[in-house]
Amino acid sequence: MNLFLQGGQVASEDSAPVASDVWIENGTIKAVAPGLDVPEGAKIIDCVGKIIMPGMFDAHVHFREPGQEAKETIKDGTEAAINGGITGVVMMPNTSPAIDSATVVNRVLEEGKKCRIPVYTSGCITIGRKGEEMAPIAGMKKAGVLMLTDDGDAVPNAALLKRSMEYASDFDMFFASHCEDPQLAGPRALNEGAVSYRLGIEGTPALAEEICMDRDIRIAHATDTYLHIQHVSSALGMETIRWWRDERGAKVSGEVSPHHLMFCDEDIGEYDTHYKMNPPLRTKADNEALVQGLKDGVFRIIATDHAPHTEFEKSQAFVDAPNGITGLDTALVSLFDRFVDKGEFGWDLIVKRYSAEPRRMMRVDVAEVSEGNAADLLVFDPNGQTTFTKEFMKSKSSNTPFLDKTLKGSIDVVVLGDEVLLER
Amino acid sequence: MAHKDFLDISSLQREEIISLLDQAVPFKDLFTRSVKKVPALKGKTVLMLFYEPSTRTLSSFEVAAKRLSADVTIFDVPHSSVTKGESVRDTIDTLQAMRADYIVVRHRLSGQPAAIARQTGASVINAGDGAHAHPTQALLDAFTFREKFPEMEGRRVLIMGDILHSRVARSTSTIFEKLGVEVAFCGPGSLVPQTRFPRFTNYEEAMKWKPDVVYLLRVQKERQTASFFPSDREYHQTYGVTDERLKQIAGEGIYVMHPGPINRGVELCDAVLDYDRCLISQQVENGIAARMSVLYGLKSKKS
Repeated sequence: MNLFLQGGQVASEDSAPVASDVWIENGTIKAVAPGLDVPEGAKIIDCVGKIIMPGMFDAHVHFREPGQEAKETIKDGTEAAINGGITGVVMMPNTSPAIDSATVVNRVLEEGKKCRIPVYTSGCITIGRKGEEMAPIAGMKKAGVLMLTDDGDAVPNAALLKRSMEYASDFDMFFASHCEDPQLAGPRALNEGAVSYRLGIEGTPALAEEICMDRDIRIAHATDTYLHIQHVSSALGMETIRWWRDERGAKVSGEVSPHHLMFCDEDIGEYDTHYKMNPPLRTKADNEALVQGLKDGVFRIIATDHAPHTEFEKSQAFVDAPNGITGLDTALVSLFDRFVDKGEFGWDLIVKRYSAEPRRMMRVDVAEVSEGNAADLLVFDPNGQTTFTKEFMKSKSSNTPFLDKTLKGSIDVVVLGDEVLLER
Repeated sequence: MAHKDFLDISSLQREEIISLLDQAVPFKDLFTRSVKKVPALKGKTVLMLFYEPSTRTLSSFEVAAKRLSADVTIFDVPHSSVTKGESVRDTIDTLQAMRADYIVVRHRLSGQPAAIARQTGASVINAGDGAHAHPTQALLDAFTFREKFPEMEGRRVLIMGDILHSRVARSTSTIFEKLGVEVAFCGPGSLVPQTRFPRFTNYEEAMKWKPDVVYLLRVQKERQTASFFPSDREYHQTYGVTDERLKQIAGEGIYVMHPGPINRGVELCDAVLDYDRCLISQQVENGIAARMSVLYGLKSKKS
């Protein structure tokens, strides 16, 4: 393969996009510079007015395989990722059976190898995510697990979490926490406040998340463990991470999802289950605080929490419908439409928080559009637009607030190594 | 009404509410005649789909529909395929084939009637969903209130009890608000959330607000077991209408309302039921007229 991306602007985590051509030969970036001569035999892709950036990396996806393949498979999930400019993913372990042993890790990674992008996985802290017994951490590490989490639930037993962190210290593993006090959380349907009162559904206060967050960070700090806080939804939760990091030097980072930056509980309207997820959407004030937390780097990474569910499941009454929305197909375009295009923050932030930092955190090679690197990039057209129809989206499910909506921006090309994964 | 369904009070305009109330008046007059029936819904089918046990609301709707000459079918949820795990959505698909004109739904989950309404062409009437709404109860409450206070505007209703879990509190407060009646809530702090209405957690303070009606809510047994308050006895002493408090209520000429069924010795003492300004049985009677008005109102749009 011999590819010449002509006339675009190359985005990086450190600066605003810089005008450059990019030449790729046999899967390697041969040159990045403005005004290059077109190499002989190269296929030219016109990138005038477009942004060339490294492939995104999503460190929080639910691929439902094994066990719930009607919602999503690893194959379909990775195709949704490619469709959204994402060239690497980390699976969450709440499959059925859960990813809590080397056997299941191997099975998942085997399936992943059949896909066109790398698939990584996390492993459970406790067996079956039940919060009762420690999972075989050393065995899973050997099989290739990158991170430990019981995502979907918190580890309810603080002593067990502490012992797991102490035990894992010898295996160079880090932890991630889904923070939630189960009693305070209640039925886990939506934020507690005016909207939950109006709709007559018991709400989940942000307190449920913040209390558990504080507990988990304290345990991690006491055991000198790196802890990543998943899908933070509230202003005070974000401030909790900031305080522990800045005032106590705790090794802690946060993650924020596009939907918690963009939507609030009022968007639920009359029981729209496409706005139902856990943790729930909070308030407009929380949206603003989370955007600020992202700019300040309290959130080390952006991740979608891609959570596919079938149309039937989401058509049930609000309380019965499962939590979660898909995100891989829509994340990058929606971040552009809502933030970059409006000048809220630049491409450098996106590249840093959705490509470079998640890879660093997971200790995989960082993708960068620079000479000598393996090709791992995408071409984004800020003047294009995308309509997220069921047909357009590659996820097996289409439970997203963006269903049939048209947003600014489009992902035109995705290249990984020697292969053009997407071109439109 | 320019609506296919009757799901909640919030989506109604003040004028629509008033016309539903006005329309209920001649229906109520009918009850004193020897023939209590009119042919308004002749040939129409009303399907009752009650996922929660209910005797009062179910019978009230049944009588209302029959007095309008509709055919009434009660879908026997406890003995149906629902107990075999059939989803609501699949049940509705099955019932579609029966071509009901109206489906009256009660469900434990907030929002279920709305979900059904989206799925079917029939007019869906919400007979109570979770803690969300009970709009026909609100309508009969407003009707009963208006019989005593025809001007309504500026009058005051104090709603007492478990506001947090009550669909009646939500719908009834909303209808009064739309009709210009002032509403306040009173009850234990664990059961009265912050809302747009004044909030009291002390009975005596609330009575200083000078309500024209004290509207008592049923205290559900399961709230006590879930520790929202310590005991029925303590509830009665702190927030219930005791014999002592009834004297004050009678002295000030305040009316008492309650959606039923009542808990004697919890939210009220026995003597309240003999109090001449207790409107509980009027509410039941007016419930039929109010529900006839809703069925009739939806009909006029359809045909």
